[in-house]
Amino acid sequence: MPYDPGKDVVEVMRHPPRSAAASTYRIFGETLRGMKTTLARVVEGPLTIQYPEEKTPVYPRFRGRHKLHRFETGDPDNPGLEKCVGCSLCAAACPADCIRVVAAENTPEHRVSAGERYAAVYEINLSRCIFCGYCEVACPFDAITMGHDYEMSDYTRSDLIFTKEMLLAEPLERTPLRTAAE
Amino acid sequence: MSALSDYRRREESITMSSEPVGMGETHELLTLNIGPHHPATHGVLRLIATLEGEVVRDIKPIIGYVHTGIEKTAEQKSYWKAIPVVERMDYLSYYFNAMAYCGAVETLLGIEVPPRAQYLRIIHLELNRIMSHLVWLGTSALDLGAMSMFWYCFRERETILDLFEMSSGQRMHTRYFQVGGVIEDIPAGFARNVQRFIDEMPSRADQYADLLEKNEILLSRLRDTCVLDEQTLLGWGVTGPLLRAAGNPWDLRKAAPYSSYDHFDFRIPVGTVGDNYDRFRVRHAELYESTKIIQQALNGLPEGPHIVEDRKVALPPRHELATSMESLIHHFKLVTEGFRVPEGECYYPIESPRGELGCFVRADGSAKPARVHMRDPSFVNLQATAPMVKDAYIADLIATLAMVDPVLGGVDR
Repeated sequence: MPYDPGKDVVEVMRHPPRSAAASTYRIFGETLRGMKTTLARVVEGPLTIQYPEEKTPVYPRFRGRHKLHRFETGDPDNPGLEKCVGCSLCAAACPADCIRVVAAENTPEHRVSAGERYAAVYEINLSRCIFCGYCEVACPFDAITMGHDYEMSDYTRSDLIFTKEMLLAEPLERTPLRTAAE
Repeated sequence: MSALSDYRRREESITMSSEPVGMGETHELLTLNIGPHHPATHGVLRLIATLEGEVVRDIKPIIGYVHTGIEKTAEQKSYWKAIPVVERMDYLSYYFNAMAYCGAVETLLGIEVPPRAQYLRIIHLELNRIMSHLVWLGTSALDLGAMSMFWYCFRERETILDLFEMSSGQRMHTRYFQVGGVIEDIPAGFARNVQRFIDEMPSRADQYADLLEKNEILLSRLRDTCVLDEQTLLGWGVTGPLLRAAGNPWDLRKAAPYSSYDHFDFRIPVGTVGDNYDRFRVRHAELYESTKIIQQALNGLPEGPHIVEDRKVALPPRHELATSMESLIHHFKLVTEGFRVPEGECYYPIESPRGELGCFVRADGSAKPARVHMRDPSFVNLQATAPMVKDAYIADLIATLAMVDPVLGGVDR
């Protein structure tokens, strides 16, 4: 079937004709018109953000640093059981292979999670993570979610391997969240 | 003799013929290395330019500095895990990479994407096209000396990236498109924010035109420079705005509509001569057309599921995991092994901001693709730079490279 877009084709404007007079006009006239465009933008005000002092709020779906979750007890001395049961589904889903989970059995004396097993080792190598959020999608127990922290730079690579304790700890409240009206 | 006329005399003495240049006392060729770390190459591109005075006689692009082996990596991943990987090739058109890949896999699976997902895909694809063109316009204008254009374009780009963050959670490489649809429905308020953006965008594009289209410096830099005719471009396999600037209205959105593009009324801007000015005007005009497509898609957004209901391909909804054992089994199966794709191969071309982006997927019946290959338009278009800039000034080489708009992440893959 021959391709004929017909009337859907629109030719763009060619450049204005070459002539010394028109060229001289443009050097002044069009430059001034350009100046008008830029100067009119002054009233719109600046859009820049003074970054370390002011922070860009993120949307609720923003995928930042991971968080591991516990069941809420409301008692700081008696933290709840961990939601993670060490099923390694997040590690299986990770396209960057940056999650390492070693599971261990819960015993009645030493109960860590709500399931049969718990994650004895849970490490995320944030220097390899691509923040695709597949771990969050994969987790059937909502034990791992992507938080809103985006300031994660560090001086050594080994500091970017986050352990279970670091992921379970409440992150510092650093990133503002956008309100629904924004 | 004044200084200016002396310059003119020397300028006119340079022969612009394409004959081989003899080495002698008067003719000496200079080999100049441009890049790979040079802001005017728009990435890590290295050009070996052979110059005679100020005139470029030959250039040789050297690529491979950002080769990441993504095509090979995708062979090691199950189909759904390859999506965030292939997205990272052409880093300015990640939705297009995902669309080409998902489209190829969907064709192999023989699944029909729900209409709502198709429309949501189009909204994001066209926003991405505007975003990519804004980066092109800002950086190209910066190369030609228009500093404020860069800030203006990145201001609008910021708005688009905010929209991407709102719908998918990430500003770049969003993995929003999944095989069978999109991973999540758009959040409340997204449609309103997109509407606000597309109401504003045409007036912003008018402002860009006010600044640039008749500016004498831009005109002298762009008009009638580095013309390449339609037949030569076709011979090099060039597609996209470069080909359309030469007058050929080839646009896959019209020629072979995919993902409901045939539901929308939009036009194809084409140029006449195929010089750098036409290339600039065609891309600039596409900003308006993309805005029109988004408006129509937003108005006609159908209700319904955002991903196919087939549990063998798409993950079950999250609320079912707590109540249905069958859903949980499907979930485990899909996450650990992934879905199997029947044996076959498929080439799925789409119109990316730079031209025909095709994804070739070969399935061997397992849960991992046997081969993923991308026909990236930047790679093909970059070949045409050498015939374009032959016997042009070196200043025009920089302008032409900006107008070719190669993205080196896509070239090297």
